[in-house]
Amino acid sequence: MRKGSTEGVQAAGTADGSPGTTTQGSSRTATPREQAPLIIEARGLVKRYGDFTAVAGIDFEVPRGEFFGLLGPNGAGKSSTIRMVSGVLPISGGELYVGGYDVHYQDREVKRLLGIVPQDDNLDQDLTVRRNLEVYARYYDIPKKVAAERIEEALELMQLEDWGGAQIDNLSGGMKRRLVIARALINDPDLLILDEPTTGLDPQARHLVWRKLRLLRERGVTILLTTHYMDEAEILCDRLIIMDRGQNIAEGNPRDLITRHVGREVLEVHPLPEERAAVLRDLEENVGESGRIETVEDVIYALGVTEEHHRRVEGLIADPYRVNFRRANLEDVFLSLTGRGLVE
Amino acid sequence: MSMTAGTGERTHAPRPRRPRGELPYIGLAIPGRLTFRVWQRNRDVFFQLWRAELLPPLLEPLVTLLGLGLGLGAFVQLGGDIEYVQFLAPGILVAFPMFVATFEALYGAYFRMTQHGTYDAIAATPVRPEEIVAGEIAWAASRMTLNTALIALVLLVLTPWLDLVGSPLIIFTIPIAFVTGVLIGSIGIAFTSRARSVSQLSYFFSLFILPMFWFSGGFFPIDELPGWAGTVAWFFPLTHAVDLSRALVTGDVYAGLIVNMLWLILAAIPAFWLGLAAMKQRIVK
Repeated sequence: MRKGSTEGVQAAGTADGSPGTTTQGSSRTATPREQAPLIIEARGLVKRYGDFTAVAGIDFEVPRGEFFGLLGPNGAGKSSTIRMVSGVLPISGGELYVGGYDVHYQDREVKRLLGIVPQDDNLDQDLTVRRNLEVYARYYDIPKKVAAERIEEALELMQLEDWGGAQIDNLSGGMKRRLVIARALINDPDLLILDEPTTGLDPQARHLVWRKLRLLRERGVTILLTTHYMDEAEILCDRLIIMDRGQNIAEGNPRDLITRHVGREVLEVHPLPEERAAVLRDLEENVGESGRIETVEDVIYALGVTEEHHRRVEGLIADPYRVNFRRANLEDVFLSLTGRGLVE
Repeated sequence: MSMTAGTGERTHAPRPRRPRGELPYIGLAIPGRLTFRVWQRNRDVFFQLWRAELLPPLLEPLVTLLGLGLGLGAFVQLGGDIEYVQFLAPGILVAFPMFVATFEALYGAYFRMTQHGTYDAIAATPVRPEEIVAGEIAWAASRMTLNTALIALVLLVLTPWLDLVGSPLIIFTIPIAFVTGVLIGSIGIAFTSRARSVSQLSYFFSLFILPMFWFSGGFFPIDELPGWAGTVAWFFPLTHAVDLSRALVTGDVYAGLIVNMLWLILAAIPAFWLGLAAMKQRIVK
């Protein structure tokens, strides 16, 4: 009790007697926050680590309210980009504005606008669920009363309202993820940044997280997402860029990207070793200029093909389950652009 | 800015100009008010675990005081009419709390930095890396201060029997403990920032803390040691803390203590800066 009261004094003292939100609010009108329609603006953004260039001068813009994806194989520069946008990694070159603020000079202003969901759950193991959020709210100087309301709201939104008193160790992987998202919402962020938010979750937990993210988007939160799951990006993102070796190699909304880079349909063939040569020969002869043939290990992908090609290949393969004629998806775009081989 | 508001023409706020070709800022920011938030976080965790965190570090000095002081003390003859347990008390008052600050800056900080991801979590908020480190150092110093205060209480309680405390000046060992804690905590944090595994931390302990613990005049007078050992001891922060503690506990105050005091403060300033710079580098990567 005594502890609590001294904290209250501290919080009130910092806000000069007036509630912290008012001070923040007035500084908002005096700052570009509401005026900047672009939440992220990157021009020629570069990150170097010694001789190694992780991000080689990329440009991208994210308008307010968009669900924006950042895809790419490991080592493409996604994490460096996301960490620069978060204001935790100094940029090596170019320009980067978040909410109209220069991340380089106005790191604190930038961070006040952001909610960060990192790859690893870095929750405070020693504190309970609710205490985690309370301690986090203090880093933003959110007055206790406001924080208490937001905490209940965030817990409810993430379906954790019955777990406020629980220890972190007792939460499942999916609950920890949701708690990290709840934590990122404590400062009512303009931009929510999620770094591979569903990695390691079971399918049910993934779907729940997706639902929550869509809900947040409907509420007007701008979201920046990185992921390795193409279905996730396809389902969630309004627009995305694909990065490879530090470059921005494709940009657009998922459907356009698919049509533009792989066409409507894909023929995926898993031939037996003795069938492989015949299938490849047939496809090479019949898939014209408009299509493309790619192989990954023992799988053959034919892009820009028609039902006709499908029927021809089916005649060459004994087991019909080894031929799959399907709608093209984002994974085909991704593999087609970043190479179907393993990137190490 | 009010000129542009509402006109709808500008899409961006006026931007601070960055001189062309200037490299991103890599210097140190002066830790501000949010340092306290980091300190508060550690305090909250401490109060959640206080039984485990507080009692062992208090029992240790007590057992040592009685075991060494009364047990070994029966065989020790010091010049003058002073008993060994009385000699020991001022040393114990600062030497054991130094351990607490050390552990906080080594193992506590290491686990928060690596396993728990606490630094990364805080770095994503408006709290700056410098404030994280400053909060950690302040916390290490606070733990040292708290333990010195509690041991001082124990010494006072035992005084009717053992005549350990001779002066109310003992109260000033509390700020001394804080300054010493900032110094030790800063050096510890700087070392931790370079550590690649937990086991490396024990080097700091074995090569620096333990020799300092024994050879700072807390357990035996160091004037009797060979000259070079005395010189080495002079460079130990704890030597100065023990000199000050001994004077304040006995009430035997002299002008030379100013040197001890200045030594601690003047060493703490660059050490603090070193701790900030080294650990910031590790946090920002």
